[in-house]
Formats: sequence, structure tokens, C-alpha cells
Amino acid sequence: MMLDTSNQKKFVAKVDDLKVYFNSKRGTVHAVDGISFDVYKGETLGLVGETGCGKSVTGRSFLQLLPIPPGVLVGGSIIYNQQNNSSQRFETGSKPGFPNSRNFEFKKVDLLTLTGEEIRKIRGDSIAMIFQDPGKSLNPTLTIGAQLSEVFLQHRTEEILEMAGLGSEASGAIRRFASQRNRIFDKWLVNLSGNRSTKSRVEKAVADLVAKALSDTQVPNPVKLMDRYPHELSGGMKQRVMIAQALACNPDILIADEPTTALDVTVEARILDLIQELQQRRQTSVVYISHDLSLVRRICDRVAVMYAGRIVEIGTNNEIFKNPRHPYTIGLMKALPSADTARGELLAIPGNVPELINPPQMCRFFSRCAFATDKCKNQDPELEKVTNSHSVACFADVAEISGK
Amino acid sequence: MQLRDYILRRLMVLPFLIIGVSIVVFTLTRVGGSPIGIYLSHEMTPDEVLEIEQRFGLDKPVWVQYLQWAKGVLSGDFGWSGISAAPVADVFPLKLAATMELAAASGLVALFLGIFLGTFAGARRNRAPDHITRIVAVSGASLPQFWFGILLLIVFWANLGIAPIGRSDATVFASINHPTGLYTLDAILAGSLRAFWDAIWHLMLPAITLGYGATAIIARMMRSALVEELQQDYIDAARAKGLAEKLVLKKHARRNALVPTITVIGLTFGFLLQGTITVEIIYRWPGLGRWMAASVVRGDQGTLMTYVLFTSVLFLIVNLIVDVVYANLDRRVTLGK
Amino acid sequence: MWFMQTWIEELLLENKMNERAFDNSHYNGDTAFRVRIRRFGALVGRLCANPTTVIGLIIIGLMMAMAIFAPWITEANVPDPYQMPRDWGAVRKPPGTPGFLLGTTNEGGDVFYGVVWGSRTSLQLSLYVVGSTMIIGTIIGSLAGLLGGWVDEFLMRLVDVFLSIPELIFALAIAAVLGPSFTNIIIALSMVIWVKYARIMRAQVLQVKQNEYVEAAKVIGDTKLNIYLKDILPNAVTPVTVQATLDMGNVVLIGATLSFIGLSEAGIAEWGVLVSEGQAGIASGRWWASTFPGMMIFLWALAFNLVGDGLRDALDPRTEGR
Repeated sequence: MMLDTSNQKKFVAKVDDLKVYFNSKRGTVHAVDGISFDVYKGETLGLVGETGCGKSVTGRSFLQLLPIPPGVLVGGSIIYNQQNNSSQRFETGSKPGFPNSRNFEFKKVDLLTLTGEEIRKIRGDSIAMIFQDPGKSLNPTLTIGAQLSEVFLQHRTEEILEMAGLGSEASGAIRRFASQRNRIFDKWLVNLSGNRSTKSRVEKAVADLVAKALSDTQVPNPVKLMDRYPHELSGGMKQRVMIAQALACNPDILIADEPTTALDVTVEARILDLIQELQQRRQTSVVYISHDLSLVRRICDRVAVMYAGRIVEIGTNNEIFKNPRHPYTIGLMKALPSADTARGELLAIPGNVPELINPPQMCRFFSRCAFATDKCKNQDPELEKVTNSHSVACFADVAEISGK
Repeated sequence: MQLRDYILRRLMVLPFLIIGVSIVVFTLTRVGGSPIGIYLSHEMTPDEVLEIEQRFGLDKPVWVQYLQWAKGVLSGDFGWSGISAAPVADVFPLKLAATMELAAASGLVALFLGIFLGTFAGARRNRAPDHITRIVAVSGASLPQFWFGILLLIVFWANLGIAPIGRSDATVFASINHPTGLYTLDAILAGSLRAFWDAIWHLMLPAITLGYGATAIIARMMRSALVEELQQDYIDAARAKGLAEKLVLKKHARRNALVPTITVIGLTFGFLLQGTITVEIIYRWPGLGRWMAASVVRGDQGTLMTYVLFTSVLFLIVNLIVDVVYANLDRRVTLGK
Repeated sequence: MWFMQTWIEELLLENKMNERAFDNSHYNGDTAFRVRIRRFGALVGRLCANPTTVIGLIIIGLMMAMAIFAPWITEANVPDPYQMPRDWGAVRKPPGTPGFLLGTTNEGGDVFYGVVWGSRTSLQLSLYVVGSTMIIGTIIGSLAGLLGGWVDEFLMRLVDVFLSIPELIFALAIAAVLGPSFTNIIIALSMVIWVKYARIMRAQVLQVKQNEYVEAAKVIGDTKLNIYLKDILPNAVTPVTVQATLDMGNVVLIGATLSFIGLSEAGIAEWGVLVSEGQAGIASGRWWASTFPGMMIFLWALAFNLVGDGLRDALDPRTEGR
């Protein structure tokens, strides 16, 4: 993969021609059908589209969190360009094709081809994810503290041992205890009189880390919160816990899959502020998946509009919202209420999203498009650059036709 | 606080249920046949019969009879066992120990095996191990235990001659004291490896016969609970944290799937209790079930009443414990109606 | 005890949710009928898509055929065909002996005869028990649910007490005091099983009572009886059918166990009795007299369990593949 580093911003992830299909009884669903985009350092990229357009599948592909089977990864790559350095990252090191931890500059990996062990090192550490419904994404039978500490035990063993004053001389059982790799008799080994004090020191270190992560999300009384069960918390509080969990290891990329859909509007605003604030402080890139256009407009630097498994338009916030070029994007804007829309001007896009089962080679927006020509019927438009940062997948020069 | 109220309420209902069961049991014995039938013979004159009836208070109103019986039960007098020619209270503990040893052995094996099989199958949904476990589960629920036991006897006792019948080899156990009544435990206490091995050897086939169905019940519940849990969102969230698949399965999915599985433990316990009857008949196991079956055929009501009352109370208590544990584990359960 | 039937209650709940979407047009009698027919067709389709259910259905079909055509398969014993024929000249014959396809017992009973006529005995047992308990349970459960108040309280405490005694032990006790006979086994089982249907039915009534369309019917001014017959009863058919299917197998299993213990008349053509009779021969290697009738009990119970499970899955799409 050649990289054009000359005058472009530094990318953290580069999605290239990603294709994810799902096998169903009725045929192959082309859920994500050849999409490409970059995620730059520290930016917020909005991924917008209707339900079922493939935006969640795209987000989950970053962490290999797709149900396979029935899902099939047909092709493409997600090149991840690691930014932060961390003691634990890629300690398996010098495997061919897999970057060495000593070499920060060219740590580029294809997330889709990593083995289970390798992707688990990235999950929750370099790339984290927040899910839609915080009520369902927390294990109901474990305390908040227990669930948060899992992230640290998984990715920050050395740091924990150091905080506990143990360093490299920690015994095997304690080390396994601090990295959640308990063997069958470790439960007893760790509780032996000689080990008990070191064990409690490790536990204390983990608890400190958890409390710190929680207090970063401005929850009141983080220490007390650690002993609570998820059902004892409000929806907003649970999402704060999820955010604390996701940002615990200072990830390079945060995938936020409609994190506020299940919340009240007032809570939503506060959660968004929180994500933005933490993001700016830590220079995290956020891929914000949403169907809510006004929300995306408010928080995103760049926006990718998805339709039926494709990106139809991608550009900066201004380009997309002030100068939309794709008929679908324009339709979405018209359906969006704003201060300058007059009463009764709100328009729905006619028709429905086409079925994604074995789609024909044509523009997928064809049946709903007011500017469709014969060419659209026979050929599938590719993303073409309008400006350096703005690309559209449409044959018609819509701006010209609509006389906008 | 809420949990304590729940336990208190359940505890308060318990005596009423036990009284209810005792009334049902008592009513049964007065509906069919004479309760003194086992003592009567053809040579007795009507006067003699009347005298026996008076001795047992059968001329009094039924409710007085019930109260007399209940009073006896509460003071440890369970009546006379016709077939053992001894007071029920004397014979009962010996038989109970034999039955409990059998039921506990099968139950413990079934619990671990069932949870293991259910997890194994649920985590490999719709693959070969899953299908095999489902066959085991469905066949276990439909298998007549008395037939399964006989099949095992045909193979291992009659044809191969490697499995014994009964509870122990008399020559091995002649020199061993029985402080607990559980032969395996007695052998350990006596320090006799030979006796211990003998007890296990005798226990094997009956425990397999009895445990198969129980394993099926637990494995089936565990499997479907695990499949359900694995589809929850928090599983993906746990994976997104970077946890190893093994840890996701053990710490998250299996742990949560165990909670609903606990509810079938009460059911399994009833299943084991019932199963001891035929299993003990087939393997000539000197326990409660075989005693009960013998007294049923002979019309020995004292034994019958005690047995039904005892098993019901045991069943009630086990279920109470199970429910309380369940409510304790699953904090989401609304404890109200 | 309280939780024993929880899956059934859960099923009720889920089922209601699925059906509500359909039932918007409920008060248009014609379409409601058509919806039911269509739903039934879809149900049969889903049932037949499940191979284990089909296996169960095939076994049930063969068993039924055997029960119905028993007199044509093997000549009926005179005077009482439910009594095993005894041929003291042909004891302990192995399977394959001319005239005795599956061999004979120690007492000269023809195992094949017992296997064939045992299917009739079992069919009678299951039909009597499941039929009567379904009716009794449905009536009592409906009364409890509809009337509420102290009637409900009394009936449900009675049910609680009945459920406190393990099924088989309770049936055993009842059969024991009534005296050993096959009829008494039927009576005993009926007295034990009805509580299940009472519970299902009561839960169903309470559930449906809360549904909007029953509220709607009340507003319209329908009588209680009418609401019951038109709304509550048809909706209860589903869980009761599942339970009844499972019980058809379960009841034969318990009945055979009671017979095996010795609570029916000796010498009748019943599978459990035959297994018991064959037990005497196994020490000397005569395996057949217990094995064949026992296998019939197993197949019978298995078939109804498979179909019952299939039915439950087909009625609740969410459990597919569980």
C-alpha cells in the first residue's frame, strides 16, 4: 500500500473498498459494498444513513466484530496507522507482516487480516467502541467496577503491576491474575497467605485506574459507583460508564455506534459534550455513526453519507451541509428541519431503500432519483472528487441541474 | 431489604403448604381401603376388628384422627411400618441414607456434566456437539429409567458380568462401622480403600441410570440459556474490550446462563427423588424408594404417608432455597407478583 | 413449583406479542377466521420444516396405526383382548421362534402380542388422562382467572399444594390407596396432571383480560361469557396444545412406571407390566421380554416430546434453533 504523505493530513485509518456480505435464505445481502474513506487524526467523522445502509457493519468491521457466518468478508482492507505508543501494544513484535513495537513510524496493519489474538490486542486499547444501547451493553450480573477493570487487566498489566510496586519480579500467578489469564489452580495460589497482600495491592491498583477513568467522565462519586450494578443506574449514567470503558486506554479511534439514540434529548447533549471534550483532550479520532443529520452537523468535522451499502458523498461538514452534490444528500437536507426552512417545506424522499439482495449493476438511488438518466440505469457511479476533500458518486452535475 | 421480604414471605407460606400436603396425604389414606388393612387377617372376628379400630382411634371423627396423626408426626411418631415390622421412625433413617447417597451421587455428576455439556453445545451452536447434546437431552426426558436400568443390567451384569447388584459386598462391609450410613463416606472414615472401591463400584450403574435424565434436563436448560446470553449485546461489548473468547464465554455468558439454569435444579431434584423408586427396585438398592414400592403393593399406609410427606417437604424446601438463590443472583428479577 | 411452568407463561406472553399485530382486525369476524386459517397453514409449514418433528410425527403415526389395527396385526385374545395370552407350552422362547416373533416370557406370554396391544392400552391411557385433565384444568383455571377474589385464592392455593408433591410420587400414592388396577392408574394420573392446565389457563385468562381488545369488547358491551368464548378461549388453545402434546408422552411414561412397580393388574397387555415380567429372565440371558416393550415406551414418549418441542418452536419463532 503506497501512501501519499506529501501534503495530506495524517490518517489513522484508511478503509479501502470494504465489502461485507451476509448470506441469508433469500440470497446474498450486500450490506457494505465497496466503500473507501480515511479517518484523520483527532477528527470526528460522521457516518450517516438510514437504518440498514451498512453504517453499523462498517463500524464493527474495524474490530472484526461481525457475526461470521452468516457474514462474509468479501474484500477490501482497513489499514490502521497506529499513533500513540504504549508499552504493551504489539508485544508479539517481529512477526512477518506484523509491525514491531519498537518502530513507531510505520506501524500499519490491516485490521481485517489480523488473527484473533492480534485483533484482541487492539480492541479496547487502540480502537474502542461504544454501542447503541448502554442498558444492554453492560453485563447485568457484574458490578460496574468489575466490568471496567477488565479493560485494564486486559491491556495494562504492566502498568498495574508497576502501580502495585511489583514490576517484573511479580510471580507467575499474580501476573496471570493481573492479566486475566487465570489457570485452574490460580484462584487458590493467589489467595495463599504469601500472595494475599500482593493480590490486594494489585486489586487496589486496578480500582485506582477504574476510579480515575470514571472520574474523567464526570460521574459523581466514582468510587461508590464501582460497587453498583448496571440496573441501579440511569441510562445516561450507564453511557458514561461505557464511555469511560471505551476511553480507558486512550484509544486512537473511537467507534461510536449511535451512542445517544437510546437516551433522552437532554442527556444526549451532555453525553455529546463529554465525548467531544475527552476527544479533544486526547486527540482521539471518532467515527460517529448516526442517522441523525442535525446531530452530525453539530459535532462532526467531516461527514460520509451512506446509502444502500455505498458511500454516496463524503466531504467536510461545510461541504456536505452547505454544498451537497448528491441527490440523496440533497433530499436528506430537505427532510431536515432548520431555522431557515419555511413551514410545510419539509420533504420526504419518495420511495424506499432498495433491497440489498444481489443488487444489479446500476445506481442504487436510481428508483428514487429525480435526476436519473439512462446512464444511471446501466452503470454504477464511483466516488469522484469535486474538490480535494469532497467526493460524490453521481453522474449528474446536480448543482447545475437544480440551479442551486 | 426487598430480598429479605421475599424470603420472609416464602418462609411464611411454607408451613401452610406443608399442612396442605399433610391434609392431602391423610385424606388419601381415608379414601381408599382401611388404614389397618395390613393388620387384618381372615380369621379375625368382627369384634376383634372393632377392637383394633378402637385401638387406633378409627371410631372417632376424621378431623380428630387427623389431629392425632399430626400430633404423632410432630413428636416423631410416624406410625408402624407393616412390612418392616418396626416403627417407621426407626427404619426411615437407614433407608434414607441409602437413597440420599444414590441421589446425591447422580445429582452431583448430573449437575457438572449437564452444565459442561450445555456450555459445550451452546457455544458450538448448530455444529456436531450441539446436535449430539440435543439428542441426549431429548432422549433423556423420554427414557423410562426402569428400562434403561434393565438394559444396563442386561449388558454389564448378565452378559459381561462386570457390574454388581445391590449396595455393597457383604463380606467387604462386614467389618466396617456405619456412622453416617453413606457407604462411600463410611469407607473413607474407616480408611478402607477396598470398601470405598466396592461402594463406588456398586454405586456406578444405579447412578448412571438415575443421572442420565437429570443430566439431560440441566444440559438442555444450560444450552438454551447460553445461546440466549450469547446473543445479548453485552457479549459484543465484552469482545470489544479485547477479552479473549474463552473469557467472554466463561466470565460473561456462562456465568449469566447459570442463573436461569438454577431454576431447573429444583425440578431435577424432584426428578431424582422420583427416579430412586424404580432404580432401587432394579438394582436391589436398600433405600426409601424400594421400601416405598414394597409397602405400596402391600397396602402399608404408615410407610406410604411418611414417604410422601417427607419427600414433599424436602421438595418444598429445596425449591425454596433454589428460588431464594435465584432471586439473589438475578438482581433484575422483580420479586413482586 | 412456582417456576416449573414459567416457560409456558413466557410463551404465552411472547405469543401474545406476536399475535397482537395480526389481531387488529379482530372484530371483523370473517377476517379473524381467515387470519386463523392462514396462521394454521404457516404453522404446519414450520412444523414440517423441522426434521426432528417430522420423525416424531412418523413415529406417532406408526404407533396410532398399530393401536387401531391391533386386532388385524395379531389375533385378539378371547375373552379379554387386553389380557396377555398365556401359552404354557411355549415359555422362554427366543425372538424369531415361529409364531412368537419377539419371543415369550417366563410365563409363556407372547411379547409381540404385548407390544402390539400395549399400544392400544397406552393410547387409551393417554387419551383418557390428557382429555379429562384438559377439560377439568381448563374449567378450573378459567374460573379462577375470571372470578378472581377468594375463588381464585382458594383454587390457586390448592394448585400450589398439589404441585408440592412430586408428580410420580403423588400418582403412586393415589394409585396405591385406590388399589392396584389400570383404571386406578388412569384416575391417579388425572388427579395429578390437571393442575398444569389450571395454571396455564388461569395465566392465560389474566393475560388476555388485560389486552386492549378485551377492553374494547367491554366498552362495546359484550357479555363476559361472550368475551370468554370469543377472545380468551381461542387464544389459550396454543399453550394448552403444546402442554397436551408433551403430556401425551409423559403420561404413558409415568403410567408404565406405575405398572412396572406393580400397581396395575398382573398379566394385562401393558408395556410397563411386560418389562416387569421380563425382568425375571435377564439373569439367565433372556433379554428380549423387557427390551422390546421398554423400547416402545421410549419411542412413544420420545415421539411426543419431539413433536411437542417442535410445536413450541413453531409457535414461537424466536426460539428457532434453540
